[in-house]
This record gives sequence, structure tokens and C-alpha cells, in this order.
Amino acid sequence: MKKSKIGMFLSLLLFVCLTSCTGKKADSKLVINEVLTDNVSNFQDDYGVHSGWIEIFNKAYSTEDLAGCLIKVSSVPGDTVTYFIPKGDVLTSIPPRQHSLFWADGAPRRGTFHTNFVLSKTGDNWIGLYDSGRSLLDEVVVPGNLLKPNQSYARTTDGAETWEVKDDSADKYVTPSTNNQTIESNPKMENFMVHDPVGVGMTVTAMCVVFVGLILLYICFRFVGKLAVKLRKRNAMKVHNVTDKAEAKERGFGEAPGEVIAAISMALHEAQGADHDVEETVLTISRVKRSYSPWSSKIYTLRETPHKK
Amino acid sequence: MGDFVSFLQNNLADFWTYTGFYNATVGHVVMIFIGIFFIYLAVSKEFEPMLLIPIGFGILVGNIPFNMDAGLQVGIYEEGSVLNILYQGVTSGWYPPLIFLGIGAMTDFSALISNPKLMLIGAAAQFGIFGAYILALLWGFDPMQAASIGIIGGADGPTAIFLSSKLAPNLMGAIAVSAYSYMALVPVIQPPIMRLLTTKKERLIRMKTPRAVSHTEKVMFPIVGLLLTCFLVPSGLPLLGMLFFGNLLKESGVTRRLAETARGPLIDTITMLLGLTVGASTQASEFLTVDSLKIFGLGALSFVIATASGVCFVKIFNLMLKKGDKINPLIGNAGVSAVPDSARISQVVGAEYDPTNYLLMHAMGPNVAGVIGSAVAAGVLLGFLV
Repeated sequence: MKKSKIGMFLSLLLFVCLTSCTGKKADSKLVINEVLTDNVSNFQDDYGVHSGWIEIFNKAYSTEDLAGCLIKVSSVPGDTVTYFIPKGDVLTSIPPRQHSLFWADGAPRRGTFHTNFVLSKTGDNWIGLYDSGRSLLDEVVVPGNLLKPNQSYARTTDGAETWEVKDDSADKYVTPSTNNQTIESNPKMENFMVHDPVGVGMTVTAMCVVFVGLILLYICFRFVGKLAVKLRKRNAMKVHNVTDKAEAKERGFGEAPGEVIAAISMALHEAQGADHDVEETVLTISRVKRSYSPWSSKIYTLRETPHKK
Repeated sequence: MGDFVSFLQNNLADFWTYTGFYNATVGHVVMIFIGIFFIYLAVSKEFEPMLLIPIGFGILVGNIPFNMDAGLQVGIYEEGSVLNILYQGVTSGWYPPLIFLGIGAMTDFSALISNPKLMLIGAAAQFGIFGAYILALLWGFDPMQAASIGIIGGADGPTAIFLSSKLAPNLMGAIAVSAYSYMALVPVIQPPIMRLLTTKKERLIRMKTPRAVSHTEKVMFPIVGLLLTCFLVPSGLPLLGMLFFGNLLKESGVTRRLAETARGPLIDTITMLLGLTVGASTQASEFLTVDSLKIFGLGALSFVIATASGVCFVKIFNLMLKKGDKINPLIGNAGVSAVPDSARISQVVGAEYDPTNYLLMHAMGPNVAGVIGSAVAAGVLLGFLV
């Protein structure tokens, strides 16, 4: 294979790799998911009190622990309140794709999930979630002028980028400690049921992917194979001290087929005194010699035959 | 005394309600006969005994009738029972990747590396999966169920179990039993299709002897194979990752002990547990349904389509190849990944027409490509539907 071809192949591979890499921003696993600032008759806490709340969602498919994290809130510029989520409470571990709710009631003595601040019911609230290393995990500004009592400001679906006001209408309902959008179906599957009821689309697409995968392997190993043959030929030329490529081709350097290698291996195997399948017709019987040992002696190991006295 | 006798009578009557005889249904008896039939096939006909013995005995274990309301925690579907704990390897999908680890450690990819165009046959045979997918959709299954049923056509038990545990857990028992049964029946299903679709001249084609493959190429294969296939289909990672890892253990030459464990004790242990629990999951109440019968029908068709598409693909492919590079279409059937049975069928059928034409080593190429192809297909289905 010419060097230019190898270069083209490698360049193409590099190009595909580089163009397929996209810069993705670092994603936090824990995000603020929904906030309700003015709770008049919405969800109540375990003390029967209606307070504002902040819902945190674990986007990951692994359990994440909130212990040691910080929730910072500011409704007036320059005035920030920090709530340190206590360590040692097993309930701060959020299972995969689950939620945790914090009551903004200014009563931290009521438990881990009761913060030391209250959210402003009329003004904007900036809320930041920090990890134990004081790095910002997520932040949101809840616009006070948009929210009426019992309305929440939430991500459209759990962990989504976009936010909206949940006004408790049919498709925008307030969802403390549960999914922002109830999943009642598998949209991917329903799409297939609607757009590809016979399965031709799936067949064509999936077979294309299978073929592409194996064609990539084919191209790669065709290239690798040619390279391997070339290297073998070059080594053979070195060993035989041949520099002329035409002569090397004529003498078949580096082109030893599998059968030749198998035959050489077999010959070596036999030369090393290994067994062979075809036996000669001369039968030799050798006496088996066993060296004497009292441990295997019948005299010592057999019990005496019982006899009548 | 009368009280004591009536106490004993009540106890015995109570005991009777716990026995298998009391709780047996026609379904249980039918399933027990199916289990015995599987064992018979394995012992007497030697059809895939490594699979059919554990599955057949598992069917017996799973269909011993008992009082399901008593909370005895003996059934495979009762949480916390021993069988249920063993069954978690199937439901959570970690048995199949371990089997793939063993398969990787025992597979020699040399035939494929020396003649990489054989990989395309492994891809073509995956039409069996999607042919069955279309038929299952037409027969009223939803796309997730249809995909699980279709994967039977990949002729790859672990992949079928892995995919159905994710997409249609309620059909897993029937799909697994169907996949393994048809894999065992490859010597019956494939030869007539191969003969039907080929001419005598084609069956006599002699293929070029594969070149010797260097150690470096063998070591490169699992690494490049993993990177290329899993970058394309990351959802196939559990299966492909373990397959190529096992192969690297084998080919690296420096982890002999690990490779021997993977292809020996590990795969044997997992095969036993997998077979037994898959068999036991076929409790009559769950298994004897119309859907199961449909799955068995579709499974057979998927094997037929896979075999036919592999053979036909080779015939079409031959039109583009030079005279000396032609491929014998009898190795087309080996694109289904029933390793090494379908490759053996190529050899047997080929030898019927020319006893000196050794197709086995050539057929191993598409055969192992089929393993990769079916794992990629499973990854695609998983990616599209979940």
C-alpha cells in the first residue's frame, strides 16, 4: 500500500474523530428542579405547615449524597443566607433519578430538610446549590413577579434546561417530590408505532448501523492485514539479504500460506519426539518394569486368608 | 383420643394442600414433559447438551407445583427465594456479559482477521433479527416486544436474554427457551435452506487458504473492535466490551490463567446457572400462553430468514468478486452467531459435495462476525427503543 494511501486513511480517521468530538459543559448530577415561594394551600410539611420549598433532583443513575452541600439564597443583592445540609442523616442520599425537598421555613431545628431561610414571596430569589467543596452545582433566579400563590417555578421536565411557571393547569401542575412531568408512555416506542408500524424504517436503519460497524472493522483490518504482510515481506528480505522487490516477489517472501506454516509446525512437533497418528505396522511388546517398593507389595498389603483351626 | 386423631387428620389434610400432587395443573404436566423432551434431545440426540440439559432440568425445577399462597419462598418469582436470587443474574442482565467474556476467551478471530470481508456475511445474517421484528409487529406485538422476539434470529442466547430482560421481561422465558431450542436445532433447520438456495457448482467453490495472522494483529483486533463498535453503538458495551476483553485475555499471551478461567470454570458456572434459571422461569402459569406459541413460530422463521439472507448475500457478493476470491455460499449460514454449530454445518454440508473441501475455518469467520453483529444489533435496538 502506498504511503499516500496510508496517510489518507489515517487523516480521514483523525478527521472523523475530531469532528465528532463536541465540547460539552460539565454537568452537575444534582440540580435545583422546582421552587415554590408562596405556599398558601399547597403541599404541607410534617408539622402541618405550608412553607415555600426547594426541590433538588438527582439527574444521575447513581445515588448521590447531599450531606455537606450548601443551599445559598439571596432575595436582596449583597445579602446571602447559607444553609449547610447536615451530615450524618441517611435521608440526604438521593437514589438515582429521585428528588429531595427542602422546606424554606426558617426553622432548621425541625430537621435536616428545614432550612434556616425563608423565600421572598414577592421579589426575585436567587438560589444556588454548592457541593461540599464550595463549587457551584446549580443556580436559578426565581422571578417573583411571575409567580402567584401556590404556583411553582420548575424545569419543564426533570433536569431539563428550560424552566416554566407551573400554574396547576392540566399539563403544568405543581409536583413537590415527584417528576415534573409524569411519564405515562415510552415516547420512543410510540414514535415507532406511529411512524413505522411495519418496522421497515427500523430494519433499514438498524441494518445500516450493523453494516457500518462491521464495514469499519473490515476496512481497518484490511489495512492492518496489508501492513502486516508488507512488514513480514520486509523482514524476510532482510533475513535473506535481498534488496530487490521484484526478486522478493518472485521468491514469494512473506507469503507463506497457513498450510506451509502448519506443515513446518507439524514437522517440528514430530522432530521433538511427539506422538504421531499413523503407527508403523511393527508391533513391539515391551516388558513393563516396576521397581519394587514395600508400599505396593501384595505380601504386605494383602490380609491373611482366613482359615479354620 | 378422638381429638388427637382429628388433629392428625387435619394436619395431613393441610399437608396434602402443600404437595405438588394437590397443586398440579395440566400446564405443569405439559411443561414437565417439555423439560423431559429437552433432556431427551440433549442426551439421546446430543443437540446442544450444555444448554438443553440445564434448561430441561430447569423446566422441571420451575414446574414443580406448590402452594403459591403459602409464602414458602421456593418459587423463582418469589422475592428472596434461592432461585429468585440466582435468577437475578438473568433479570439484571449480568449473566450474558459473563458468558460473552468466556466466548471471547475461547474464540479465535484469525479466520476473520485474515479475510476481513467475511465480516459482511455476519452483518447480512442479522436480517433474520429484523425480518422477525417486522413479522412480530404484524402479529400484534409492540415494538419493544417485537425487538426482543426478533433478536432470537441472531441465534445468540445470551444476547437474546440480555435484550429481552431490558425490553420485554415478561417474555424473557419464552424468548430464551426459543432461542436456545433453535440453536440446538441448527443442524435440522439450516441444511435444507442451504441446499435450496445454492447450485451444485456454487457448493464446490474452493476458497483461498487464509494467510497466517500475526500476534500483533490478534492483539489489535479486540482493542480496535471494541473502540469501533462501541463508539458506534455504546448500548452494546456490556456484551461487546466483555467479548473483546475475553479475547484480549486470550490473545495477549500474558494472561493465560485469566483466559483459562474465563473460558473454563467461569463460563461453565454461568452456563449452568443461566440454563437452570431460564428453564425454571418457564413456570406453566407464566409460560403456557398464546404469546409463547407465537414466539416459537417467529423464532423458527427468524432462523430461516437469517440463514437465507446469509447464503443469498454471499451469492450476491460473489458477483463483485474476482474469480480466485469467490466465497462458497455454504458458509453464508454461519453468519448467524450459533458458534461453532453453524460453522460446523457449513463443513458438513460442504463435505457432502466435496469431501476434500474444508470450509470450517472459512465459516468460522462469518460465525464470529455474527456474534459481533448480533451484539451490535441488540445495541441498536436498545438505543432506539429505550
